Amino acid sequence: MADMITLSVFRYDPEQDDAPSMQAYEVPFTGPGMKLLDALNYIKWQLDGTLTYRRSCGEGVCGSDGLNINGVNGLACITPVAGLKQPIHVRPLPSMHVIRDLVVDMDHFFDQYRQIQPWLKTETPTPEHERLQTPEQRAELDGSYECILCGCCTTSCPSWWWNGDRFLGPAALLQANRWIVDSRDEAMGERLDQLEDSFRLYRCHQIMNCMEACPKELNPTAAINNIKRKLLARKS
Amino acid sequence: MNFAKEPGAAHGGFSDWYWQRLSAVALALLLPLPFFLLAAVYSGSIDQQGLLDIVDHFVSRLLHTILIVALMVHAYMGLKVIFEDYVHQTGWRVALIGAMLLVMSGFGIWWLAIIWAWGG
Repeated sequence: MADMITLSVFRYDPEQDDAPSMQAYEVPFTGPGMKLLDALNYIKWQLDGTLTYRRSCGEGVCGSDGLNINGVNGLACITPVAGLKQPIHVRPLPSMHVIRDLVVDMDHFFDQYRQIQPWLKTETPTPEHERLQTPEQRAELDGSYECILCGCCTTSCPSWWWNGDRFLGPAALLQANRWIVDSRDEAMGERLDQLEDSFRLYRCHQIMNCMEACPKELNPTAAINNIKRKLLARKS
Repeated sequence: MNFAKEPGAAHGGFSDWYWQRLSAVALALLLPLPFFLLAAVYSGSIDQQGLLDIVDHFVSRLLHTILIVALMVHAYMGLKVIFEDYVHQTGWRVALIGAMLLVMSGFGIWWLAIIWAWGG
């Protein structure tokens, strides 16, 4: 690996720029453990303080730094610089309104998350202690609860690009399935009612970009298929 | 930013998904048959009278009918999905899907009339 790595970073300030542009930077390579976020931090702190991006935990837990890296969505904080083709093209998440540089407007994404009502819904009286699950019932949530809502999957989905105003997208549907399979939740029928729609659910054409993009290696396509199977079972 | 275009669930979409898959299974089973028949004719295994006997048989006509209906249903569902994906103006989308439904229905009925020799 060369001593210096080169990056081409998306820059856009809607209040000043007529159009976006790509800006080149050179950053010293600090070692095999260096992540893309380290390179962005170096640019921000040493080269150009105007570069704007989101970051928080730096450990792949908070989901703040979802970016399009060399054409593939991922988290900057857990993407090793070694192995990335140079110059490393860093762009904001696709199909999102850019607030500035690499920061995008996530409001609509979280609105769609709210639409699936991501909380436990019950009708039976609350038990004295807690609603218990068997280990098997708890295992049903594996592959869903780990989602950190970074938006990498949803913004990599062409169906969401074309119909994101109505198609809920992989992340929201993965979360919808998380509550459908939760043994403690008592609103499966209501949840399926809210999802049974040509656009909300059935815009998924199994392209599977979501699965490729997910930094937590989850499978939203499988979750969406599970919802479709639940609807099939309900109709059959 | 909040996109206000959220009309709620239409409680539909399942039937499209279901019929598209059911028709795909029917096509996978039935579509090879005419090609086998064609191959048999070209290889000389069946002469013209033999071909007519097969095509005229009631079971053949029934299978042919299922094939055409499955083909029309599958093509309609597939093109409908494309229109829904890419035509974002509701007026255009409804008009195009409606026109497609009419054309395909007409084509299907015409083909069925040939299969069953309606009108002699």
